[in-house]
Amino acid sequence: MALVRRVPQFVGLANRNRNMSFKSLDPPSSLTHGIHVFHCPDAVGIVAKLSDCIASRGGNILAADVFVPENKQVFYSRSDFVFDPVKWPRVQMEEDFLKLSQTFNAIRSVVRVPALDPKYKIAVLASKQDHCLVDLLHGWQDGRLPVDITCVISNHHRGSNTHVIRFLERHDIPYHYLCTTKENKREGEILQLVQNTDFLVLARYMQILSGNFLRSYGNDVINIHHGLLPSFKGGNPSRQAFEAGVKLIGATSHFVTEELDGGPIIEQMVERVSHRDNLQSFVQKSENLEKQCLSKAIRSYCELRVLPYEEKKTVLF
Amino acid sequence: MGIPRRLCSSLNLFQVVRFGSKKKSYSSLHPPNPSCSNSFLTHGIHVFQCPDTVGIVAKLSDCIASRGGNILAADVFVPQNKRVFYSRNVFVFDPVVWPRMQMEEDFLRLSKTFNAMRSVIRVPALDPKYKIAIVASKQDHCLIDLLHGWQDGRLSVDITCVISNHFRGPESEVIRFLEMHGVPYHYLRPTENKSEPEILKLVQNTDFLVLARYTRILSSTFLRSYGKDIINIHHGLLPSFSGINPSKQAVDAGVKLIGATSHFVTEEHNAGPIIEQMVERVCHRDNLQSFVQKSQNLEKQCLSSAIRSYCELRVLPYEEKKTVVF
Repeated sequence: MALVRRVPQFVGLANRNRNMSFKSLDPPSSLTHGIHVFHCPDAVGIVAKLSDCIASRGGNILAADVFVPENKQVFYSRSDFVFDPVKWPRVQMEEDFLKLSQTFNAIRSVVRVPALDPKYKIAVLASKQDHCLVDLLHGWQDGRLPVDITCVISNHHRGSNTHVIRFLERHDIPYHYLCTTKENKREGEILQLVQNTDFLVLARYMQILSGNFLRSYGNDVINIHHGLLPSFKGGNPSRQAFEAGVKLIGATSHFVTEELDGGPIIEQMVERVSHRDNLQSFVQKSENLEKQCLSKAIRSYCELRVLPYEEKKTVLF
Repeated sequence: MGIPRRLCSSLNLFQVVRFGSKKKSYSSLHPPNPSCSNSFLTHGIHVFQCPDTVGIVAKLSDCIASRGGNILAADVFVPQNKRVFYSRNVFVFDPVVWPRMQMEEDFLRLSKTFNAMRSVIRVPALDPKYKIAIVASKQDHCLIDLLHGWQDGRLSVDITCVISNHFRGPESEVIRFLEMHGVPYHYLRPTENKSEPEILKLVQNTDFLVLARYTRILSSTFLRSYGKDIINIHHGLLPSFSGINPSKQAVDAGVKLIGATSHFVTEEHNAGPIIEQMVERVCHRDNLQSFVQKSQNLEKQCLSSAIRSYCELRVLPYEEKKTVVF
């Protein structure tokens, strides 16, 4: 199950940071942002202990979200704080939160310091449609998407004169063309190419990733579906929506699980359509929504705002 | 099929209104007052659907202008690659200068000129309100919202009766309200043939029906026999969550948006042409109760909006499964 699989990854990620040497720090007087997410069985006193830990190290909490669902003994929190990395070294922070996570038997405890920790490494998978891919690349170039794109993988060939290829060459990002057939989805090769990534982004990648692949990869995979799930699962949702005469169309970003278009939803967006729209404008509005919805999901994920909730849902702080 | 029936029935619908109105003397509704006839400007709405050709807008607007009418709003829509024309004009006119019956004749002539599939004129201040029956089941949030809207004058219809397969006692809010306003409540005990012949009898003098969370499916026999438009509210964003308990389905699916859909009823369940859709955000902080509450809110708004649009002649059938909503 994705939920279970995703847990070791998150914890593992935090541990990975500890072993790396952090880049040289800014002058001591600058305060740095830290984010901590916590997910554990509910009990009295968690918020008190978490906030006390942060305060005792001179950290100042700027934002906090706590959520305990009705009738469920589970606790979620996300704290956003500023601290002085000289007073509270990164390695010390890891230890402090690790101790808390052990105290409360946490299912998940992740701390992230965006200014110090390495950016998340992602690979982007795409097919022929490239509006989402191009939007991600531009967002990355502008600094709006705080990730490292290790490579782009596609089952669609792109010539050296295409916008995508020229962009990737300019920025030294490899493009891997893996032609797929019904019999061969090239999953072994994809796995090898993405083994050092933190998560994957399917930017209108049209192949279905098998349960085997998902289990072998083990980290999160975020997909954009060009429809308002669960409406219009499957192919060509724009045309389906157009023919159904709906007045609202949408896009859905979600985690990929074995069930096609059935994984936990991260974000959904809609836009109005009317009789004045034709299939072309349906598609255009849809592409717009997909770009926004996917970017937002990735940004939320990188900011540790997305947490798995029950089997098929997410908490989105 | 829904559309042809509705086309004919809509024409019949509006023709009934027209002919019915013609038999009445308009003078009894608004006695002309020659001394201040200039100040009695009345709103008129005209919708037109015909095969597309050059000159329709010119002729329509000229007709209105020639009678001293002043167009305040107009919508024209010709779909790409289809030779069909839709328009809706809102204009003010002096009913002394342009009498209601003359207006009928003028637009009838235009509809013949252009071979119109639909040409409807409505003067809300003079024409009788649309007569509707509301059909409901146990859930009464939509029903109550409609009744209050009607009482406040926000819903400009005549409610001939409320029909339900759910018994309501004399102390219930609905029954007390209806008694206060002289609107009959017909409890039809659920039977094998779903009480449809009885319903048909009760609604035969209505202009259209509103299903306000009525849980039974109307048979195609009923739809054909009734012949006029039926507006339903579905508590979900069609085509998502068609079927029962969409709120629970939505909660279980972990969606971030829930919605409601108002649509015309056709033989295909929950699949008739959509009139209006509305959404609201939900998140992890919502439980089933708040899902349901937000959903009920949306249903009330969406259904009211659809009925208002319909009464203002803003809703026109478009192709097989869609609507033009001006």
